[in-house]
Order: sequence, then C-alpha cells, then structure tokens
Amino acid sequence: MEQPTSKRQRRGGFRITYQLALFVLLVFLVLLFGILQPVFFAPDVLFNVTTIIGEIGIMALAMTFIITTGGIDLSVGYNLQLCAIVFGSVYASNHNVPLAIILSVACGILCGFLNGMIISRTKIPPLVTTLATMSLFRGISMIIAGTNTYSGFPDSFKKISTTYIFDVIPIQFLYFIAFFAIFNLFYSRGRLGRNLKGIGFNENALIFSGINTKRNLLFIYTLSGLMCAIAALIYLGRLSAATTSMGNDLNLQVVTAVVLGGTSIMGGIGSVSGTFIGVLIIGVLRKGFTLINFSGNIFNFTLGVILIVALVVFAWLEERKKNSGKTSKYVA
Amino acid sequence: MKLKITFKREFILGLIVLAFMLFLALTTQFATRNGLFSMMLDVSPTIIGAIALSLVIFTGNIDISAGTILGFVSYTAGELAILGAPIWLFAPAAFLVGVLLSGLNGYISVKFKVPSIVVTLAMNMVHLGFYATFLHNSGWLENLGDNFTWFGRGQVFGIIPFIFIVSIAVAALFIFIMKFSKFGKSVYAVGGNRLAAIYAGINPDITVIKVFLIEGLLLGVAGTLKAVTRSDVLPSSFQGREMTYIAAAIVGGVNIMGGSGKLLGAVFGALLVYLLSTAMIYMGFQDYFQYALQGIIILVAVFITITDFSAWRKKRAAVIAEPERN
Repeated sequence: MEQPTSKRQRRGGFRITYQLALFVLLVFLVLLFGILQPVFFAPDVLFNVTTIIGEIGIMALAMTFIITTGGIDLSVGYNLQLCAIVFGSVYASNHNVPLAIILSVACGILCGFLNGMIISRTKIPPLVTTLATMSLFRGISMIIAGTNTYSGFPDSFKKISTTYIFDVIPIQFLYFIAFFAIFNLFYSRGRLGRNLKGIGFNENALIFSGINTKRNLLFIYTLSGLMCAIAALIYLGRLSAATTSMGNDLNLQVVTAVVLGGTSIMGGIGSVSGTFIGVLIIGVLRKGFTLINFSGNIFNFTLGVILIVALVVFAWLEERKKNSGKTSKYVA
Repeated sequence: MKLKITFKREFILGLIVLAFMLFLALTTQFATRNGLFSMMLDVSPTIIGAIALSLVIFTGNIDISAGTILGFVSYTAGELAILGAPIWLFAPAAFLVGVLLSGLNGYISVKFKVPSIVVTLAMNMVHLGFYATFLHNSGWLENLGDNFTWFGRGQVFGIIPFIFIVSIAVAALFIFIMKFSKFGKSVYAVGGNRLAAIYAGINPDITVIKVFLIEGLLLGVAGTLKAVTRSDVLPSSFQGREMTYIAAAIVGGVNIMGGSGKLLGAVFGALLVYLLSTAMIYMGFQDYFQYALQGIIILVAVFITITDFSAWRKKRAAVIAEPERN
C-alpha cells in the first residue's frame, strides 16, 4: 500500500511541476537571450515581446477552449486574414472606420459560426472541417483582394494597438491580460469550463446527463471566430496594411502555444494559465531570434520542433500516469 | 449485396468523370492532343498522391506534411541529377527520402500516441523552415539536364506520357493489394475498429507504421514524377499539394474517419478534382478560386460519405411518430 500513495503524491505534485517547469523555461529563455544580446533586458525591448504576441495570445485563449474539447481549429490564421481583408476593402471603398470594424467582426463571427455549425450539427470531425474552411477562407480573401494591398488607415484606428501605457507597456499586453482574466474565470470557475472538459473526456456521458453539448461547441467555435476578428484588428493597427500573406503561419503558433501550455491535444485536460505562459515563451523566442539576427524561417522551424517535443513529452507523462493502474497495453 | 453497392458507387463516380470529360470536350479545346496530353501529365502525380493519402486515411490517420515531403523528394532528385546521376540512381534515392520522412511521422505518431494530424502539422512547418534555412537558394534548382527530364517528357504513340503509364501501373498494383492481400484487410481493420483488429491478431501499431512507410514510398514516386516533367525544382512550391490529394481521396468516397473506401474511387476522385479545376480555368476564373472550391468540395464530399442518411430518415420518422419522446 505504500507505493501507490507515494505515486499519487508524485502525481499530485506533477501539475505544479509542469507549470513551474514552463515558467522556469520562460525565465531561462529570457536570461539566455539577455546574455546573448544585453539590449534584450531594456524595458522597452522586453515589453515589445508583448506587442508581438497580442494577436497570437488572444486567439490562443479561444483555442484552449477548443482543444480542451478534443477539437482543433486550423482555420484561425486564414480567418484572421479574411477579417483583415474585409476591413481593408470596406475601408478602401468608403473610408468609414466604424463600419469596417463592424463588418470585419461580423465576418469573423460568421466564419466561426460556420465552423461551429458544421462541427456540432454534422459528424464531420473538427480537423477536417477546419482544414476545409481554412482553404475556403483563404480562397475568399484572395477573391476579395486579388493582388491588392490595403493600407493608409487613419491614425485614430492605429491607436488601438500603438498606444503605450506609462510610455513602456504596450496596450496589447493590457488586452491580453484582460481577455486572459475573463477566459480563465470561465474556464476554471464557470459551468462552461466544466462542460468543455467533460466533452473532451466523454461527450456521450455529458449528453446523457442532459447537457446540450452541441450548443457549447457552437459557442466556442463562434467565440474563436470573434477572437480572430479582434486579433485581426489589433494586428492591422500594428502592421497598417492588409495583405493576403498575413496570418499564414499563425495557425501553428497558436496551436503550439496551447499545447506547450499543457492542454492535452486529446482533450479533457487543459489550463488557460499554461496557455498564458506558452504564449509568452513564443513571444520571447520570436523577439530573441530577431535580436540575434535569425530569420523568421528558423523561428518557424524551431517552433515546429518545439511543438513535436512538447507533444511527445506530454504524451509520455500522460502515459506514465495512466500506466499506474493498467494491465493491457492496448485495451483502452 | 455489399459488393454490389460499393461497385455501384465507383461506377457512378466513373460515369461522372466520363460525363465531365465529354462536357469539356464539347464546349472547350479539351479534346485536342494538347488538352489530353496535359491532363495525363498533370493528373499522374495526383493519382499516386491520392492513393498514398487514401492509405493513411484508411487507418484513421492523416498526413498534412505530404506536400512538403514532396518538396524534399523533388529536391533530392534534382540535386542528384545535377551531380550527373541517371534516373535509376536518383529516383530510388528520392523514394528513400520520402520513406524516411513519412516513416518519422508514423513513428512519432504511433510510439508516443500523438494524433498524426498534429505531428504532421508541426512537421509541415519544420520542413518549410528547413528548406528556407538550410538549403542553398531555398532549394531552388534550375536548368536541369536531359538526364533529369527525359523520362517526364517521354511518351508512347506521341500522346501517352511515360509517367501516366507508371501511375496507372502503381494504381493497379495497389488496388490489387488492398483488395486481395492480408495486409490490405488489416489496414481496413485497424481503421474500422481498432479493438476488433487487436482481437483478430493484428498489431495496429506495426500496421500504421507500415502504411506510413508505404505512403512515403508513394509520395517519393509522386514527387519524382512531378519533378521530372519540369527542368526546375522549387521545394516550397509543393506546399499545399496534400489538400488536393485529400480532396481527391474524399471525393472518391474514402471515409475520413478511416476503415472504408476504395482506391479505385480515389483514382476517379483525382481525375474529377483535376477536371473541376481545369473547367474553372477554361471558364476564365482566376486560379485562387480553386482554394475556395477545394474547401467546399471537401466539406460536401465528407458530409455525403459520413452522414448516414437512412438513419436520419428513420430518426425523423420516429420523431414524427412519437413527438413527446424528443
């Protein structure tokens, strides 16, 4: 009887250790880049990290909800692109910022709603649905934009992501913190978070206990679409040009941030605060790579490797946890 | 009875392909020598790629990195051809690269029990980053000699390209294997019901890894065939090809959840997807309309293959009969 207790204690300690290990990794990366390039420690450079993660972070929060249910949304990058193109084209045609914002947000919600309807009402798996809608959104944004680049947005619009608090903290960081607080509240305290984890573990059990899982799924995919639209606006304020190449590689960054944060890709287990640290790690890596003159391609390459390593490590830990009471290797 | 139904589906698909060809022949310049030749040239790698992806989908997995693996394959073939290697040397080397890369995907996915979608999504990024970072000029090769392109340009009777004959032979071989061999049955079994397959004495892990290795070999063939039709190679241009292959497989009736579908259907699917995009070009649409079309095709085709319409009808009838039950 001694052994299982000690094992359980070790398992109980593991959760904290994983988050802690992630935090240690973050501190290590900051120190590493700081030593390689001392300018990294300057407050404006360090806070610049939070500028570039604004859009990834906001999308990653919604993605945490989705991955917790065992789903995935691969269309976020192109959804963001489409929202940005819609904003750009509407602004280019009548120079009306509020109208452009409303239509862009409506477009994001509509795209998310489309994903949600297909995933919750048919048996098509989320992966295939969003893979197909990814292609669809990309096609639509290319049809709208052709080879155009939309730019020349007014300064009043650019302010939404070029404002600094105390001249050093970028406003994106504030947005991210605010959304993080809301998402974390819903995820860890509310009924929604409990339902999402339940869907990830065993959707049928939830259906039989009278919970409308379809509505929950529809809601989170629509929410993801809304977050894409908000991220698109923040991104546009910073880049000040909408092109059909923006957002191409954001899918992987968002998924990596969530998986790195300890949300199981199989569903059922997750943490919004883990995603928070995961997003920060990605931001530090990207800024650090830019500072030591590595190209964006090496960043993508490293990100892919990190995602695979994170998946393998997490799967290995889960396997070890499961094996404590299992007899057969295969029978689930 | 079941045989009859599956035969029917492929038969109908074949008829649709024929009708489409007839339509194009009557309304456009399709039925000329050039139209048919370019169709056979373009569709050959797609047929093999669709078979490769179908095999993976049969086991309930998927490969998003197929396009970037093709890039590596074509780069290897081109680089060796520049060094003066003949086709019987660079082609097997390119196949080997495909097998190794795809085998790595399969190994990570099976060994660590990570869904193949995420592994291959990450690999897609790793491959793209690799071209841009470690290969000279992002792996762009040009002015490849006759030792590289003679096979791609070769033709029988002045109309049938060599590569079309190769792809039809490969397709026939794999249709035969999947229909009659024990291995073919085990692939369907693993995708259909993993637990039942285990009780039937099949090791699902080994089967999935084998399928990934075969997929790599087929991608090697597809990448080499695609590369030798041109005198230049740009690895990153293959990015996104997997979407076409997946679309072809799904249109051909391969069930995305695994366990069912026919390779003959995938071959017809490849033809149909090619014909659709050709028709759009003939009708004067820009090529980026194809992205949107591809997405819609996949969604509609998956919806039709997955949804059990008879169950739907029954359920509706039951609801109408006893409204208070739901």
